[in-house]
Amino acid sequence: MPEWLLWFTRFENSKVAALLLFFFTFCGILIYVYTGKKRSRRLESYKYIPLQDDDSHLDAGSGEAESNERREK
Amino acid sequence: MIKHESIETNAGLLIILTLIVISIGGLVEIVPLFFINETVEEVEGVRPYSALELRGRDIYQREGCYLCHSQMIRPFRDEWLRYGHYSLAAESKYDHPFQWGSKRTGPDLARVGGKYSNEWHVAHLVNPRDVVPQSIMPNYPWLLETELDFSDVQDRMRALKKTGVPYSETQRELQRNIDEFGAEVAARLDILHAEENLMQQALANNYDGQRARITEMDALVAYLQVLGTMVDFSKYDEGYFTEFR
Amino acid sequence: MAQAAIASTEQYNYDIVRKFTIMALVWGLLGMSAGVYIASELAWPFLNFDIPEITFGRLRPVHTTLVIFGFGGSALFATSYYVVQRTCQVRLYSDWLATFTFWGWQTAVALGALSYMFGITQGREYAEFEWPIDLLITVTWVAYFWVYVQTLRRRSQPHIYVANWFYIAFILATAILHIFNNLAVPVGLFSLKSYSLFSGVQDAMTQWWYGHNAVGFFLTAAFLGMMYYFVPKQAGRPVYSYRLSIVHFWALSFLYMWVGGHHLHWTALPDWTSTLAATFSIMLLLPSWGGMINGIMTLSGAWEKLRTDPVMLFLITALSFYGMSTFEGPLMSLKSVNALSHYTDWTVGHVHSGALGWVAMISMGSFYHLIPRLYDTRMYSTRLIYVHFWLATVGILLYITAMWVAGIFQGLMLRSFDDYGNLAYTFVETVAFLHEPYVVRALGGAFFVGGVVVMAYNVLMTVRRSRIEAAELEAKLAAKMARA
Repeated sequence: MPEWLLWFTRFENSKVAALLLFFFTFCGILIYVYTGKKRSRRLESYKYIPLQDDDSHLDAGSGEAESNERREK
Repeated sequence: MIKHESIETNAGLLIILTLIVISIGGLVEIVPLFFINETVEEVEGVRPYSALELRGRDIYQREGCYLCHSQMIRPFRDEWLRYGHYSLAAESKYDHPFQWGSKRTGPDLARVGGKYSNEWHVAHLVNPRDVVPQSIMPNYPWLLETELDFSDVQDRMRALKKTGVPYSETQRELQRNIDEFGAEVAARLDILHAEENLMQQALANNYDGQRARITEMDALVAYLQVLGTMVDFSKYDEGYFTEFR
Repeated sequence: MAQAAIASTEQYNYDIVRKFTIMALVWGLLGMSAGVYIASELAWPFLNFDIPEITFGRLRPVHTTLVIFGFGGSALFATSYYVVQRTCQVRLYSDWLATFTFWGWQTAVALGALSYMFGITQGREYAEFEWPIDLLITVTWVAYFWVYVQTLRRRSQPHIYVANWFYIAFILATAILHIFNNLAVPVGLFSLKSYSLFSGVQDAMTQWWYGHNAVGFFLTAAFLGMMYYFVPKQAGRPVYSYRLSIVHFWALSFLYMWVGGHHLHWTALPDWTSTLAATFSIMLLLPSWGGMINGIMTLSGAWEKLRTDPVMLFLITALSFYGMSTFEGPLMSLKSVNALSHYTDWTVGHVHSGALGWVAMISMGSFYHLIPRLYDTRMYSTRLIYVHFWLATVGILLYITAMWVAGIFQGLMLRSFDDYGNLAYTFVETVAFLHEPYVVRALGGAFFVGGVVVMAYNVLMTVRRSRIEAAELEAKLAAKMARA
């Protein structure tokens, strides 16, 4: 076995190995999320999910008069 | 190659990956503590609690003492002067659960044993302001009035034995304890004689000042008086303990 | 309108959300009042009245359990059941199993609080439930997980909205933490006493791995799930960046689990563990602030809503406190700062700027959004929402300022020496110093509870009005039918 592979077999190196592994996974996620125009557009399109079933006529804060108006419609 | 898109749309995959991600930290930090020898240093003198001390510890927990008193002295000069030698991991190795605490509304109790007389403890627990006028600790008068219930002390010791505390039930276990702790201590760790031992310790020391009765006060004061007294620090060089930090 | 109302009640299981919402308010009121009471006990110890059941040591777990698991837990059940239905556009899986989670959870919280008053406790902070209640919680939690996942699987949206990811991480992490931290050997089948499986240093690390992740996943990740739904909804605009939310999720989930050891700096825990924990605590600042920025920037370009919408005020203030306490946390996890802050009231103040400022404020903001929708009406009074907001904010500020003063000065007093190298203060001198900060803290708490009382009244009147409106509607319909 080559010398550098033996490094992984040592117990005390497991923390560093795990950290590196997760760091690169994290970089992978970053690259995935922030590259590609189409992908970006697709990902950002999901942020509209909560707004798809609109029920804003019940908003407490948008002013009682305003919501009364909308209610009557 | 798993696409992030499939994670977003597959609940099962999302669950598994999340599980992996959240497990790593705990695994890396906790699991080695059970295997690395340096976690708990080897010192002489630390022994499991006697039956009476154990019941005292249960009462300490019941009253929530750990919410205001720590049992963990840190290696600082002011704590050294105020409380004594910093706490060792070995000193709580029989503590199920640990009672290190997280807040000092009152002072640390890790080495309170032997600092005050039994009479002081009784007076202090009944009304702390009688002995420390500025204290904000609640009164615990009922400890002096309530008879100690030790009917299930054997079961309690058996439960602790299951977690690894070396209380003895068989002749072989007794012999092992004699080898490790000496005959006097080993006799107190014998589950089969727990009740006699408890009564004997309470009557011999009369912690609560009431000779005729064994109260919860007896048990709690017995526990407080043993805290931090097990290790004889004069036997060790200071350098010895730093190896384990 | 009437038809729409009927349709929406049929489409979604709102009944379970209503139940949890109301119970969250009930537990919140009880738990926070208990908090004010124990705070007063510290300022005026005669309030312990020599009654075992209400002494500080027994009442403090009642306070923490009622607010964390009673108020926080019920708020999370309510909002997660609401969010998962709305973002998946499907009805909640299995009505009876959902109802079971309701009764299981409420029973556990109530039994827990009662048992502490009678001295039945595991003696582990925030995990004081004895073993039978732990088992009940486990069963309830498995049911919760099942309801949640089955609802997700039945969704009519291909994508799982990010709020649900946070709720899932919270459910999974809480399950793991709960099981491993509560491993214990009962004294007997009919005994309420148990001894933890681990001891000493391993037990301490397990407990604080649990303790801090109860904060990380129960009180943060899940409430971030809440944030990712209710902030965009209330603002009427999508979250600032969805991609940031993905990065936020993975980074937060990974980093949080490492930081528990910072509760054990300078103890008998090996140095490597607490150093690792401190390092990760610092790194945790990044995803925390990423999330905060994502929430606050949702409002970018619509800041005027803060002037007109008190609910938005709650949500944005919550995020600001979140940002503040996630900055303070890493600061306190530095070993040199921790040497001073640990064991003092600074920690208590830090917890409350998170618990009151972040957790309670975001929940209350979400409830003000949620309740009109659950009862198909408007909030009884917008003005009372403003009153609540100011009472809460003033309360929090009084509380944390008092605790900063108490903690920092006590820490300094304890470590000061006179010219001869002796300790300058005895311990009890520092206790005497704490009296005034403790009075201010109790006052701050009272302000906050005052706000909750106002909210409870507002909600009560809202529910009552919704009943009247429904009755009127029914009468109208009946009249129409009769005419026809």
